[in-house]
Amino acid sequence: MAATDTSQASKVLSENEQLRGINADYEERYGFHDAENYLYKAPKGINREIVEKISEFKSEPQWMRDFRLKALDHFFARPQPTWGSPMLAEVDYDNIHYFVRASERAERSWDDVPEDVKRTFDRLGIPEAERKFLSGVGAQYESEVVYHQVREDLEKQGVIFKDMDSGLREHEDLIREYFATVIPPNDNKLAALNSAVWSGGSFVYVPPGVHVDMPPQAYFRINTESMGQFERTLIIADEGSYVHYVEGCTAPTYSESSLHSAVVELIAKPGARIRYTTVQNWSQNVFNLVTKRAVAYEDATVEWVDCNLGSKLTMKYPSVYLMGERAHGEILSIAFAGKGQHQDAGGKIIHAAPNTTSNIFAKSISKDGGRGSYRGLLEIAKGAHGSRSKVVCDALLLDDESRSDTYPTIRISEDDVNVGHEATVSKVGDDQLFYLMSHGISENEASKLIVNGFIEPITKELPMEYAVEMNRLIELQMEGSIG
Amino acid sequence: MPELIEVCPVAELKPGERRLVEWEDLEIGVFNCAGSLYAIEDRCSHDDGPLAEGEFDQESCTVECPRHGSLFDLRTGKPKTLPAYVPVDTFPVIIEDHTIKLEVE
Repeated sequence: MAATDTSQASKVLSENEQLRGINADYEERYGFHDAENYLYKAPKGINREIVEKISEFKSEPQWMRDFRLKALDHFFARPQPTWGSPMLAEVDYDNIHYFVRASERAERSWDDVPEDVKRTFDRLGIPEAERKFLSGVGAQYESEVVYHQVREDLEKQGVIFKDMDSGLREHEDLIREYFATVIPPNDNKLAALNSAVWSGGSFVYVPPGVHVDMPPQAYFRINTESMGQFERTLIIADEGSYVHYVEGCTAPTYSESSLHSAVVELIAKPGARIRYTTVQNWSQNVFNLVTKRAVAYEDATVEWVDCNLGSKLTMKYPSVYLMGERAHGEILSIAFAGKGQHQDAGGKIIHAAPNTTSNIFAKSISKDGGRGSYRGLLEIAKGAHGSRSKVVCDALLLDDESRSDTYPTIRISEDDVNVGHEATVSKVGDDQLFYLMSHGISENEASKLIVNGFIEPITKELPMEYAVEMNRLIELQMEGSIG
Repeated sequence: MPELIEVCPVAELKPGERRLVEWEDLEIGVFNCAGSLYAIEDRCSHDDGPLAEGEFDQESCTVECPRHGSLFDLRTGKPKTLPAYVPVDTFPVIIEDHTIKLEVE
């Protein structure tokens, strides 16, 4: 009897713990912050002087400095977008530190990384992940990459995996040829801002025919309050090659907002395949405004697997331009919007060549008044005959206060094509819960089961380690959602 | 049947300069790239905005769309960077009697 009482009591306790809500253990797992012993921290605000200083710090060639300054003019000239989310109006560009240098250079050994920064990444489990299942790691702390390593056998095969700053120093010709060809600085206001103040990110080049069997990963960490992180990533997969790149991100919880605005460009040459997986778990004071775009040439494949759990506002629509015959594009997107969050996610596919194929699968879950939006574009250009595409966007609402919006755009300029579009919005129904509970499952468990089933088609595409982490995060997001 | 339209005297379009001409409902940008003359449609294929007024680089013989930054090759009309991916129309440039003329139809 006593034993039963104890187990009952612990059950109640554990359910109470579960009622803590969204990302309940964010504070202890990711929300900590370190003391700031920085080599340089730019004053708040953006101007020509800051941009020149960043370029000078990095001893960049003149063309890159000119590129930055021109992008800055574009940034100033463009108005803040008014579409997407009313939260965008809260972004205060004058209240952000645009460059913070924590370390002298990107180290190749954990032992050489500054002690407090190393402690952060140890706590986040990065060195352990590197040993177990990664082919390389880039760890970015504030504005710059503090640690970077790639497996030796891949380096011998000619694979380049560098932080972008080192990439520019060591492979200037390659970068000059491809940099900003997929996303020009004037593409949008945020891309212009990134182009002006970019720092860090990854440069990946995979030579023809080389398959990188384990993924390299980049991990992005913001530590300072009111910080702007503007990494820049360029991945080139040469003919017939394959790479799966993974990124993750966290930040401490502060009252002042931070801004993360990345630009990611992918180039898949004929027959190549790039998969790019993101598990975005910024703290809920981060504006996450990112431009991601890929080109896929003949017989190439690009897949974006995009999971958005954290941030205050995310606006991100990874896109694939299918430029060569039989190219394939795939976008799998999960967004989870909790209290105070707006996840404006989705994707864009442009069929610019014949017999190209694509899929967009987007799932959003909203709870506690959160807002999840799907915003997508499917375009089939004149001449892209024989193309096929399927767009499916599903939204799950967990309560009456939450919100879901779908903004799909489909433009077709060719007759001989096959396009399917399905959209659903559903609410976790009392009958579903009742059915599961009648089998002895608690209400909390039942709703978790329904959510897990809802997102399963996407989590099964994640590498096992990330699928486990993703499920754990979703479970945390779910806790306390019912009752 | 192609038609020849007059742009201006050769001496009035020096290297690095450009000029906009209209013909029926078409607007065409004429560029002097270091002595070679090219003409392209004044319309970005990405969102139909004006193109010819963008930044002109005669060294690389390109014009940059002022709206979203696609770079177009003036010789071919092909975009060298996204977001535009469809080429714009180009027009043959002819010099006759010290006058720049375009062949349009």
